Amino acid sequence: MSDEQAAGVVIEDLHKSFGDNEVLKGISMRVDPGEVVCLIGASGSGKSTLLRCVNRLEDPDAGRITVGQFEATDPDVNLDAMRRRIGMVFQQFNLFPHLSVLENCTLTPRRVLKQSASEAEEEALRQLDQVGLKDLADRRPAQLSGGQQQRVAIARALTMKPQLMLFDEPTSALDPETVGDVLTSMRSLAEAGMTMIVVTHEMGFAREVADRVVFMDQGVVVEEGPAQEVIGDPQQPRTQDFLRRVLNPLAE
Amino acid sequence: MALSNRKRRQLSLGIQAAVFVIAVAVLTVIIDWGAVQQSFFNLEPVAPMFPGVITTGLVNTIQYTFFGFLFGLLAGTLLALMRLASFPVYRWIATAYIEFFRGIPAILVFIALGFGASLAFGLNLSTLQTAATALAIVGSAYIAETIRAGLQAVPAGQVEAARALGMPAWRAMVSIQIPQAFRIVLPPLTNEAILLTKDSSLIYVVGMAGAAAELTKMGRDGITMYQAGMTPLVVAGFCYLIITVPLSLLARRLEARGPAKASRKKKVKA
Repeated sequence: MSDEQAAGVVIEDLHKSFGDNEVLKGISMRVDPGEVVCLIGASGSGKSTLLRCVNRLEDPDAGRITVGQFEATDPDVNLDAMRRRIGMVFQQFNLFPHLSVLENCTLTPRRVLKQSASEAEEEALRQLDQVGLKDLADRRPAQLSGGQQQRVAIARALTMKPQLMLFDEPTSALDPETVGDVLTSMRSLAEAGMTMIVVTHEMGFAREVADRVVFMDQGVVVEEGPAQEVIGDPQQPRTQDFLRRVLNPLAE
Repeated sequence: MALSNRKRRQLSLGIQAAVFVIAVAVLTVIIDWGAVQQSFFNLEPVAPMFPGVITTGLVNTIQYTFFGFLFGLLAGTLLALMRLASFPVYRWIATAYIEFFRGIPAILVFIALGFGASLAFGLNLSTLQTAATALAIVGSAYIAETIRAGLQAVPAGQVEAARALGMPAWRAMVSIQIPQAFRIVLPPLTNEAILLTKDSSLIYVVGMAGAAAELTKMGRDGITMYQAGMTPLVVAGFCYLIITVPLSLLARRLEARGPAKASRKKKVKA
């Protein structure tokens, strides 16, 4: 990461419903600048919705979120300016299929940040090099494996020089043999001091890379703390139950 | 009856062939082929129709259709964006327009424009202007629906990814959604061009000077002029095929090529 400052995130009493279904029931948490936090929990626990509220892909019903200097829940916040500071990586990669790998990485810097073509390409190739895919810059996304596509998605997000990175189950759609490369790229990003919020089912990654782990169930934070403690020695019955099923699926 | 699948397939083929042979035999007997040939395939007026049917008729048909399609595409794109607009009044207007002009026969628009434009607006429209405007009015209603469907067929994740990068909504529309929708709508738009080519014949009801005649008009004039049956109409019909068959082949090729694939996998998140 360059000279850009990592941003912290503060979430206070966040509520979100889809129709009658209350997905977030008053979530409060904070992520310090440079910290890596993994959100774990069963499907439907509200992890992804919480993540999507941070860059306002979802609009929360109540509560407050600040990201660095941005008041994310202020109705008049400059969403585009805020999102340029928040990188997001999706489960389905969401690379632009009609553009080459390089163009995926240069489009927004050129069109939105008004960088020159050479400036944008230089930075894009640097970021692609970081994830080990500089040689594939001229390919189309469809010609890449899932793991390669996801690493391009990470590089694409980083070309905007974000102060916070959001990962929404980045390895859940991948073939098992390509998961490792993506996690490695994420680990080096964490080591470079990026603030990261990662929704994941990769307990190994959470244990090794995360500073803190937050366990959510049915729209509330059940337990949070240092990764080793929450995963290695959970205190709450719901956390224990979840981890037992994830870590040892064949039991019972 | 216990027939094997192979036997059953053979029996089915045999029955189909038998029905075909009988149908051909019956048609051969009951139809007066001499009269058919005299009415529809009399070669006498064919030669004198050329080169006029090409240099005037075909050229005019292509011209009317081209401008009708061009303006229809522009208006249709605008209508599609209106149907997707956040301001509800735009949505209502676009929906009303689309439902109205898809629901009435195209010939009404030609008549209304051909005879009504001068009365209502004091406009003296040329044949090209009348035909192109009428085709654009009707075509835009269909094209709008095609484009709307194309825009909505672009996966939601594409726009989300663009917005998450910090692109404003219009930029995501221009750089991400429209280019991908374009590939999706090319085949149906080509089919729409075929339909408009055929609908351009409706200008016939308005009437036109000889130099502005398109294929259908030339066909009907040929019937009166040569007094040799319907053959000129058949010639005009084949001239339409010169336009529509290549378009149809193009549409099929575009369809086979398919839109750009978003990703290798098609797993959907629960």
